Amino acid sequence: MVVIRRWWSRHKLQALLTLLAVVGALLLRQSHGFIYFEAYRWLSQPFAPSVQTQERFVDAQVLELETQVQELQSQNQQFQALLAYLKTQPNGVAAPVIGRSADHWWQQIILGRGQTAGLSVGGIVTAPGGLLGRVTQVTPHTAVVLLLSDQTSRVGVTISRTGSMGYIQGQGSSHVRMFFFDEDPGVQVGDLVSTSPFSKLFPAGVPVGQVVSVDLGKNAAPQAVVELSVPISSVQQVVVTPFDDSGIS
Amino acid sequence: MGKSLVQAPLTWGVTLTSVVLCLLLLPLRLPGLELAGVGPNWLLVWVVAWSVKRTPLTGLWSGVVLGLLQDALTAPQPTHVLSLALVGYLTARLKKQQFTQEDLISISLIVFAMAVLAETIIAVQFSLQEVNFILPRAYQLLQEIWVHQQQVSLASAILSSLWAPALYYPLNLWWERRGVLPSP
Repeated sequence: MVVIRRWWSRHKLQALLTLLAVVGALLLRQSHGFIYFEAYRWLSQPFAPSVQTQERFVDAQVLELETQVQELQSQNQQFQALLAYLKTQPNGVAAPVIGRSADHWWQQIILGRGQTAGLSVGGIVTAPGGLLGRVTQVTPHTAVVLLLSDQTSRVGVTISRTGSMGYIQGQGSSHVRMFFFDEDPGVQVGDLVSTSPFSKLFPAGVPVGQVVSVDLGKNAAPQAVVELSVPISSVQQVVVTPFDDSGIS
Repeated sequence: MGKSLVQAPLTWGVTLTSVVLCLLLLPLRLPGLELAGVGPNWLLVWVVAWSVKRTPLTGLWSGVVLGLLQDALTAPQPTHVLSLALVGYLTARLKKQQFTQEDLISISLIVFAMAVLAETIIAVQFSLQEVNFILPRAYQLLQEIWVHQQQVSLASAILSSLWAPALYYPLNLWWERRGVLPSP
């Protein structure tokens, strides 16, 4: 007893502190470091990312999601437009554009479907908006399309409003030149252009584009510049309709 | 002797693969690979890479072969054989190795000049086709062809010369390692 009392009086402080430390540590352990984390947060607050940066982070996330939604919406819109368009073309086959001309002179596109999907040479290629061109070559799984914008493309067309006839010839861009057969075609800027019944390679009445400028004084025949209604440089999906010109004489 | 027999198919297999790769790149219009709707003329770059350290006749034949291949992808008339064959011949005639050992920049310059030349030859062919077309229209058509020629040759020359080292460097290295380049 005496021994214990003497030890206590000598090491009282030490023992109490040790006990306190052990109990404190135990408490912290039992509470899963409750105080530690609270303290850590309180101490690190000056260095923590401010609310503003957090907001910015959230904003960025929202922006990312919005962009995704927008992208999906526009894709969906494109496909729906194509689907609605496809319904108006009972014999049409939808095909993706997988490539462009292999040199810098021909205005061609390469489609990702061919003979096995029912495509054949002479097929009419359209997209939502109007006429694009004509299939000139097919393999089992691809098709080459000569576009209206090619310089060798010459298509008989008519001005829908007045019925005046002419033909268009490509210039390598989304604008094609139209030549009239009449001396005075009475054409105005904004007139709509579609294929004429005299065209042998295309069915009549397919929309082609819109007149953007008229030049009546040029050379022998009056001319106009027609903007194609399909954006040729960015078109990604087209519809191919078989066209048999043997039935037309 | 036996070793070279085993190695020859590999050497030319890789060469052939590079041509096929160029052909596959032609219809692509990727961002960075496109300027005003025009991509690099990969076949022209290939012909220059092939001809620059070879004889004029070898260069000419490579142009003929690749020109026929490009015709197959577009249309046989006007032909690409003429332009590419001339490019191959002239590139070899330059005898670049006698003037400079430096490779990448001089190759880019040669490709630039040859791209302009090639597009000009095609434009001439188109013009000749149009001359026997209806006369009042011919003048206007010629004008359109040459405006197009300016746009196309500039865009094609810039892009082809920028991308030329990407094709020339590995190909040249391969041919050097394989020892198939004729000694100067």
